[in-house]
Amino acid sequence: MSKERVSRRQFLSYTLTGVGGFMAAGMLMPMVRFAVDPVLRAEEGGEFIATTQKVADLTDEPVRVDFTFKQKDAWYESDVTQSAWVYKGDDGKVVALSPVCKHLGCTVNWNSNKEHPNQFFCPCHYGRYEKDGTNIPGTPPLAPLDVYPYKEKDGYLYLGKAEPRKEA
Amino acid sequence: MKWISKDVQTFLSAKEYIDTAIVPLYSISLEAELKQSAEAVEFISLLTAQVERQFAGRLLLLPPFTYLKKASSEITAEQLKNWELSLAAAGFQHIFYLTADAEWRRQEEKYDGSFIWLPAIPLESMSDGQKITLVDSQVSQLLPLFTQKWQENQGK
Ligand code: FES
Repeated sequence: MSKERVSRRQFLSYTLTGVGGFMAAGMLMPMVRFAVDPVLRAEEGGEFIATTQKVADLTDEPVRVDFTFKQKDAWYESDVTQSAWVYKGDDGKVVALSPVCKHLGCTVNWNSNKEHPNQFFCPCHYGRYEKDGTNIPGTPPLAPLDVYPYKEKDGYLYLGKAEPRKEA
Repeated sequence: MKWISKDVQTFLSAKEYIDTAIVPLYSISLEAELKQSAEAVEFISLLTAQVERQFAGRLLLLPPFTYLKKASSEITAEQLKNWELSLAAAGFQHIFYLTADAEWRRQEEKYDGSFIWLPAIPLESMSDGQKITLVDSQVSQLLPLFTQKWQENQGK
């Protein structure tokens, strides 16, 4: 037989802790749940995910870039698709913003509201953001859109895990 | 918001913003139409998941209302009415039912919620790429139905 990963004694002790450990687990739950939230876990360690967007094709007009990765949640693995609004800033640097509204999480669109052109617009409670992701005061969102770290590899755009924007 | 503990928690703390409920209606058949029934469920669940992603902050996606195709339509209709009354009592101003079952056309006027009919498109023979394009195009047709309803009511 190949080497056992868990010795029998260890296994037995696991099963036994299971019973008494249950209540302790209850107390720890809120903290643990936070720490192992599958969304966070799947992307930890600054993993970058390939997109089909060529960096050279980007302009100063935001385009939607979708990318898919596998997310493991306990016993099943699922494909998760996320999007980013990507454009080239004035300095030629790539800007990749998360489309998830900082109010309650709807998907924001670029330039979709005629009354407020050249802004990101959230259809849910009419939240608005400037092109650089800054939330516009007086609309529900209280923070700027998250920013994806990015990399360029073989001409293609790779995105990491979106992070809250650091204050300049 | 989805019907999972994390989302429901947010829902409870931000109720005033989440005024819309989506209820998928699944007709189950174990007889001749078993296959169509499965196709419809598969398609609708994909669509509702996408719609939820777009409008997560304003709507709550409920677990599907599931009924037997051969059950009496009066009883089924009444059960759905109960759902509607409970949802209204819980403060939802807009209720959307997504279904592939044409039977509801005859019941439609009994409800305040809006019915959205979807074709039961068999996805099995499609490639992933085709599926995504298809679902995307369906979703982009669906989204305005929601935003329109919201706008109508805002004007009132
Ligand atoms: S979720 Fe975007 S404004 Fe409320």
